[in-house]
Amino acid sequence: MKIAPASRLELLQGTLDLLILRTLQTGKSHGHAIAKQIRRTSEELLRVETGSLYPALHRLEARGWIAAEWEPAESGKRAKYYRLTAKGRKQLQAEQTKWETFSRAMGLVLQPLNEEPV
Amino acid sequence: MSWIPHKPGWIAGRSRKDAELEEEIRFHLEEEARQAASGGLTAEQAQWAARRELGNVALVMEDTRAAWGWTPLERLWQDVRYALRMLRRNPGFAAAAVLSLALGIGANTAIFSLLNAVVLRMLPVAEARQLVQFTNTIPLWETGSAYARNLFGYPQLERFQARATTLAGIVGGTGLGRLNVGFHGNSALADGDACTGNFFSVLGLTPQYGRFFRPEEDRADASVAVLADSYWRSRFGANPAIVGGAITIDRIPFTVVGIAPRDFAGLSVGSGPDVWVPLHALDRLQPGGKRWTEPFLSWMWMAGRLRAGVARERAQAEMDVLRRQFLTEQLAVSAIGGMANVRHFVRDGHLVLRPAATGVASGLRERYAFPLQLLMWVAGTVLLIACANLANLLLARASQRRREIAVRMAIGASRGRLVRQLLTESLVLAALGGALAVPLAWWGGSLMVRMISAGETPAPVAVDPDWRVLAFTAAIALLTGILFGLAPALRATSVDPAPAMKEGTHRAGRRSHTMDRLLVVVQVALSVVLISGAGLFVRTLHKLWTVDMGYHRENVLLFSVDAKLAGYPTDRAGAVYRQILDKLQTLPGVQSASASVVRPQDDEFRLEDRVDQVDGRTLPEPDAIHVAWNSTSPGYFSTVMTPLVAGRDFAPRDRVSAPPVVIVNQSLARRAFPNANPLGHQLGEATVIGMVKDARYGGAREGPAPVLYYPLFQHGPEQEFGWGFVSFELRYGARSNLLDEARRAVASVDPNLPVFRARTLVEQAEQALLTERLLATLSSFFGALAVVLACVGLYGLMACAVARRSGEIGIRLALGARPGHIVRMVLGETLSLTLAGIAAGIPLALWSARFAKSVLFGIGPTDPFAIAGAVVILIGVAAVAAYVPARRALSIDPGVAVRCE
Repeated sequence: MKIAPASRLELLQGTLDLLILRTLQTGKSHGHAIAKQIRRTSEELLRVETGSLYPALHRLEARGWIAAEWEPAESGKRAKYYRLTAKGRKQLQAEQTKWETFSRAMGLVLQPLNEEPV
Repeated sequence: MSWIPHKPGWIAGRSRKDAELEEEIRFHLEEEARQAASGGLTAEQAQWAARRELGNVALVMEDTRAAWGWTPLERLWQDVRYALRMLRRNPGFAAAAVLSLALGIGANTAIFSLLNAVVLRMLPVAEARQLVQFTNTIPLWETGSAYARNLFGYPQLERFQARATTLAGIVGGTGLGRLNVGFHGNSALADGDACTGNFFSVLGLTPQYGRFFRPEEDRADASVAVLADSYWRSRFGANPAIVGGAITIDRIPFTVVGIAPRDFAGLSVGSGPDVWVPLHALDRLQPGGKRWTEPFLSWMWMAGRLRAGVARERAQAEMDVLRRQFLTEQLAVSAIGGMANVRHFVRDGHLVLRPAATGVASGLRERYAFPLQLLMWVAGTVLLIACANLANLLLARASQRRREIAVRMAIGASRGRLVRQLLTESLVLAALGGALAVPLAWWGGSLMVRMISAGETPAPVAVDPDWRVLAFTAAIALLTGILFGLAPALRATSVDPAPAMKEGTHRAGRRSHTMDRLLVVVQVALSVVLISGAGLFVRTLHKLWTVDMGYHRENVLLFSVDAKLAGYPTDRAGAVYRQILDKLQTLPGVQSASASVVRPQDDEFRLEDRVDQVDGRTLPEPDAIHVAWNSTSPGYFSTVMTPLVAGRDFAPRDRVSAPPVVIVNQSLARRAFPNANPLGHQLGEATVIGMVKDARYGGAREGPAPVLYYPLFQHGPEQEFGWGFVSFELRYGARSNLLDEARRAVASVDPNLPVFRARTLVEQAEQALLTERLLATLSSFFGALAVVLACVGLYGLMACAVARRSGEIGIRLALGARPGHIVRMVLGETLSLTLAGIAAGIPLALWSARFAKSVLFGIGPTDPFAIAGAVVILIGVAAVAAYVPARRALSIDPGVAVRCE
């Protein structure tokens, strides 16, 4: 049975975009390396589903946040390398700020500094 | 493959992108495998691990493509290509489906294009929605029900034009009938209209060439004319140089000043004039009378344009008040202001403004609007049957494609996606059918226009498909595509992939056969409606044709002559007609000849009057006898063979100077002189000298009604031959060249006298039944179509059933079942389906026949013969449809069948 793409992406949408953009901030990379990088830097906590990664990459490309070029990879075969565009850099900043605010807010609610009895 | 269109450019660019995506994913898999292999797995294990990690490759690619954003269009393209390929693989099915759809959609489009041309199409004038037609509604003396008259007197027009504040312009006009238009010495007949000088400017029209009338040109010596586009093309070869040129109309010189726009054919559908002249040209074309001054002489139609933003009701209220004020003033002034019916008209009548965006009142529209609506329903039913038929074919195909569908679902296609693809197949079929339907409808539409054209030339009704017709075709094609495609698509995709794939045979669930059967029963039921409907119309036509008209149709030639067209003033017209009649009587082969104002079953004339003086006694207004009247020459009754029951026919001695005489028919005699011999009694000023048998005056549908006959050569001059032309009747023994001889006889009196409306009385009678003939012919055609489709439907169902049950039949045969038994089984099933359809169809037919009641004659909507005919035909059809499958069932080889099972 097929799961509609929307329902699967919903969980990660936005978050996955942010992760991809952040990963590309350090330099261009191809899809497989991006997935690996996310997994590694999150200490294996986040596993990027390949089924979501490529649609996300193509969506970001269509929005102009990342651009792609074909270049030879380490293995010698050519691979599609994605890099951040200026527009993407701006988007990354905005998303990052938003995420940090959200995360701080969540942190404040879950672990208040000076808890008062209700 | 060549007929499947190639990919357009943007799709070609797309395939490069597709290849790149594939490469990208492949690279991902290889990279994953490479890294897994370095972790210690074998190459094969690594590959499988990579595949597992990625999941469904096709799905990932599909999802990624979705991110590109333009997939719906691409999917549609894919689906269309796939659909075309599927159709190509089943050319027989495709041809049958497209053809039946083309016929069904084409029938609907053809009727609709006619309905559009006759009823729906807006006038090609500026802001047509602002146009209104002036109408008087007057309660009838007899019944009290209001009836409408569209004619007004000229003084009213002047008053309205001077006082109206809610209308931006008021125009008026009248038909001139036949005109003799001369150009460079050649003369030919044409239809003319006279209209007020502001006619074209109020309509907001722009001439193709030249100009339209100037307001100051609408005066007694008016000598300008505007030509209609069609006339300009046919008579003057579309030569623009004719503008400014001289023509003669009834031998009076006129100058052509302009050519009307191409699509403008007057305000009334179906009676587009060839030439327009200013209203006051009437003074030269039809001199005399009190038409400009008498307010109660109604002879011109009027229309107006609402001021922007003014509601019709408001303008109507203002005009009604203006009408009442003006007419009340005129009662005191007019010579006929004292008559009771004139007072009734002023006091109880009202003025109504009717929307005229689609044209002013039209005889053609009045006559055909309802029959065309009926035919629209009939054609719609045919399309429904075609849909049921196709749905059935698709259902049968759906069970054949179960495996294909199951496989596609198993590899990840969603049900919605498959339904969409199957629906696309139906829509492609519908689109092909619709495309083929347009030329078919065009052809059918012009054929129908010829069928409903009474005169020598086709009625000026443009049935070319306009945007409205094309939109209609597209809409019903789309609708039919969904209608016949949805159920099969839903059923085809409601399979559980695993068992369906295992089964291997084309077996569908039990419930599905119920749907097949239901569809066939629906087809039969709708066929009952169509066939019995056709039966009603055919029987109506037959009854109308065989009704006793009171005269004999065979061997009578009719033609008309108008002395006015050759420039004769009215006081000399009578002599011309008498001379012609004398010549005709001496023609070889002519048994008798006569002349009359109204011919039997006349399609242009009807003269009515009220008789309110009987034997010098004045009848009170409500008791006045409503009569139809005619003026006839001596010999009229013997020529058309209407028996003289008492007294004598008119004779040459009944001339102007002689005492006035009349002949009555039996109905009038009964009304005016109950239980008395009418001979010698007085009607008005005249003495009754004869009584004839009732003959139907207006047509077969009219019952016998009072008719009054005047002697043509006594009464005509008195009326100044105001009705225009005269019809001649010739009863002949042998007809060869009679018309040519008659033409020569007329020419020998004056070569400038045109002969027109030449046809036999049989033809004249046939023309009077054009509507009925159209209904009978088309409904029979549609009924036959329904029968064929029902036959195909039944046959298809039974053929499928026999194929499906070949195992069972084989076993039965092997076990010793007699052939007769097998045949009975197949026949019985077909028959029971048919009977179920008939049982459902009869009440439906009886119910829908009520709507056609007004066009029936001589039979009721529940005519048992029509229903019985439909039942017999459909049972016959069932037998035909079952024959081949039954034969096939018998030829099943038990051994083969059992082994296959």
